[in-house]
Amino acid sequence: MRCWGAVLTLIALGRVAAAAEPPAKPSPAPRTACIECHSELDGDEGEPVKRAADDVHFQKGLSCHDCHGGNPAADPDDVVAAHDERRGWNRPSRVGIPLFCAKCHADAGFMKRFNPQGRVDQLAEYRTSGHGKRNAAGDGKVAVCIDCHGVHGIRAVKDPASPVYPTHVAETCGRCHADPKLMRPYGLQTTQPAAYKSSVHAHALYEKGDLAAPTCNNCHGSHGAAPPGLQSVVQVCGTCHTREATLFLEVEKKKGLNLASCIRCVVCHDNHAVQAPVDEMIGVGPKSTCTSCHKPGDTAYDSTRAMAAALDGLKARHSHAQDLLDRAGRAGVEVGSDVVALQKAGDQVIELRVLAHSFDRERYLASASTGLAAADAGVAAGDRAFRELKQRRLGLAVSLVVIAAVVAGLLLKIREIEGAGPGP
Amino acid sequence: MWSLVTVALVDGGRRDGAELRRVTREETVATRRNVLNWFLGTSAGAMCGSVVYPVLRYLVPPEVPEAATTRMVAGREGELKAGEAKVFPFGARPAILVRTVEGEYRALSATCTHLNCTVQYRADLKTIWCACHNGMYDLAGHNLAGPPPRPLESYKVDVARGEIVVSKA
Amino acid sequence: MSALVRAAAWLEERVGLSAFAALAREKHVPVHRHSLWYYLGGMTLFLFGIQVVTGILLLLYYRPSSGEAFESVQFVMARVPFGWLIRSIHSWSANLLVFVLFAHMFSVFFLRAYRKPRELTWLSGMLLLFLMMAFGFSGYLLPWNTLAFFATQVGTEVAGRVPFVGGFALRLLRGGDQVTGATLTRFYGFHVAVLPALTTLLLGAHLLLVQRHGMSVPPSVESEARRTGLRVPELPFFPNFLLRDAVGWCVALGALAGLAALAPWELGVKADPFAPAPAGIRPEWYFCWMFQTLKLLPARILGVDGELVGILGFGLGGLLWTLVPLFEREGTSDRLRRAITVAGVLVLVYMTFMTIQAYLPEKH
Repeated sequence: MRCWGAVLTLIALGRVAAAAEPPAKPSPAPRTACIECHSELDGDEGEPVKRAADDVHFQKGLSCHDCHGGNPAADPDDVVAAHDERRGWNRPSRVGIPLFCAKCHADAGFMKRFNPQGRVDQLAEYRTSGHGKRNAAGDGKVAVCIDCHGVHGIRAVKDPASPVYPTHVAETCGRCHADPKLMRPYGLQTTQPAAYKSSVHAHALYEKGDLAAPTCNNCHGSHGAAPPGLQSVVQVCGTCHTREATLFLEVEKKKGLNLASCIRCVVCHDNHAVQAPVDEMIGVGPKSTCTSCHKPGDTAYDSTRAMAAALDGLKARHSHAQDLLDRAGRAGVEVGSDVVALQKAGDQVIELRVLAHSFDRERYLASASTGLAAADAGVAAGDRAFRELKQRRLGLAVSLVVIAAVVAGLLLKIREIEGAGPGP
Repeated sequence: MWSLVTVALVDGGRRDGAELRRVTREETVATRRNVLNWFLGTSAGAMCGSVVYPVLRYLVPPEVPEAATTRMVAGREGELKAGEAKVFPFGARPAILVRTVEGEYRALSATCTHLNCTVQYRADLKTIWCACHNGMYDLAGHNLAGPPPRPLESYKVDVARGEIVVSKA
Repeated sequence: MSALVRAAAWLEERVGLSAFAALAREKHVPVHRHSLWYYLGGMTLFLFGIQVVTGILLLLYYRPSSGEAFESVQFVMARVPFGWLIRSIHSWSANLLVFVLFAHMFSVFFLRAYRKPRELTWLSGMLLLFLMMAFGFSGYLLPWNTLAFFATQVGTEVAGRVPFVGGFALRLLRGGDQVTGATLTRFYGFHVAVLPALTTLLLGAHLLLVQRHGMSVPPSVESEARRTGLRVPELPFFPNFLLRDAVGWCVALGALAGLAALAPWELGVKADPFAPAPAGIRPEWYFCWMFQTLKLLPARILGVDGELVGILGFGLGGLLWTLVPLFEREGTSDRLRRAITVAGVLVLVYMTFMTIQAYLPEKH
């Protein structure tokens, strides 16, 4: 009798204790033998289960055995039955991971179930990359899938916490590519991540939050990561900076030049530490990028000097017109439509900055004079406004004189009517 | 005033001295009053004129009779050849009038919906194009390619009496 | 000359204005140390006249729809000959009008001109004051610029807080739940039709009553006259007082011309209902003292919402102020009279101080 009592009490206490604990985080996947056993383990062997809730594979309904094989329905205490090699149980080596992941990710029929539009060529791309080539040669130190995407807690790329979300890519690549110890055996520099961090692209991405701003993978590729070849730098920059790239290639064709050896865009703008361009980059001043190759006496030297002068001239005239119209507006003359018309001059300044990449003096100067015409119209409008202001003041003076005369007349009339001085 | 004094002196034969002085004083007072009245009247008239003149000028409608917010003349027939376009101010914002290669007129807002640059017409591509970041719109204003997130507002074009009138739909 | 005489005689037989001419000749204005304040009423009337004329001119070009209002005002300022002058005069004169009106009201208050038999004159005057403030509030929105849009939003929001009728009043004012083009059209209707009609009636009554009772003499002057036995000297209205009035009006006209030419009224930026309200929104200066008070009141006073207490306070204050002739009658004690004066001074000081406060930069 007392035995039963003790058992019942223990069961009751157990129930109470269980109720008092916070409920365990529900695992999205059904409770398989794998999870049953590994959730009790510590360290590396317990990690996978802890991370399972964040993992996109689990969220899609897959589980441990879908990648690692084995028997999920085995008795959790029976390791041998669970780790059944006949049922495909395996633990891939580092070098074997690309093939391991590609088992599904390169299978179009399989991936269609989860994302009909998803790509399945990641492995093929990887094989073209520096990482992929060395991996194929047996190098276990280069990056494989899990180094960028994580392992067991793999988040979708569009998940902001994923190591391959745009704002984390540079950090992820930098884990190896900023480490001199790791890069020295391959003869690779490690300045790129820091250089990138100083660039205007990084500023756009991290500070302005513009997710369209490029990070490592946008120029280098993600799976097929490799530095763009000399021929392709201009195409790569040109995916966003289309006009500049088109102009650049046009001028090469027209003048029969091949500037691939000075890596086109990079020679003036750098590749990683891209800074915001300034107008002083053309012309012959200290910040000019032209004068690093073109010396006085060179036609290009004269051209760039003329072009810079035209740009400065337009900017000055535009600013003068803006200032005039602004002051006229504040003084009370309505100049709204003139301000709108002046936009054209501002548009031309932007146009000129793009046209610098055409290296075509005539075209550049023609565009500058269009802008100058608009700016001149703005200045004329501003002058007109000030003339009108003068006229208003003149009109005011005249009317005040007339009013003063009337007031004087009235006061005299009052005095006349009342004989002595005016009353209150 | 001197003429009055003269008259008074001439008339002196008919009046005595004190009366003469009184008459002169009365006459100068009367003259002063007339001068003052004239002065007050004229200046008051000038003041009225300086009020009435601006009002009358104001009432006469100006060249362009209304604020071009919803409707305006964007150009004349024959101004644009097929495949040409022009940007014109419509209300407070720029608009673009396009004469397509087929000869039709189209009018759209010229402010790019991406970052407000002024767009232009590309006859070679038969699209509206924004030079700033390569945005593309078709002639109905739909954003086709590039960063623009929204279409361009499309306006109604009528051709009447040789004028091309653009109005908000 | 005889043609004029004959025309006058023709009119006289049919209209009989000579009776009014006789009355006019008899109209006299007392002259004493406070009689300078008498000019304020006429000045207010003059400025109101300017508003009517410039307002009518403006409505020949103005369009009361949210899509066109701003552009039509811009058009008047930029394209219509002397449009800038008419519009700036209208805006400046509105502000001058309210200022002079408050001066007129306070001078009448402190000179105790609301005593019997002028209680109805005071009442009609107070109603006219409220109407003029309504003119100001409704007119301010009409250019449909950012400041006006948000000031109207705040102002109608406050009106909506009045208990019981607040929600109804808010929808009535706004023409809906939010400030939209419907509000603009409605305010335009108030500004050019409803308020002018009401003003015509009240102003007519006010002026008739003033003619009926003549100008009031302040109690201090009256008692002095009684003491010395001398009659208070008088000035004929036509032409003496009127000529002096005319001097003031000409000076006011000159001031308006100067303000319009040298400090033209701003147009600002077209209202965008979807943009966030800019910092530092406030109503026109003559509402600022109320606005500032509401800003400074604590969130809760004795368990009631602070702003509600403020609004009810203003309502009660306005009512008491309008009813002041009831408190000061012939039998009232000197103590009560002095209390009324003190109350008036406190109100004036408070309003001035709060208005200045509203314009000082905010300390954080």
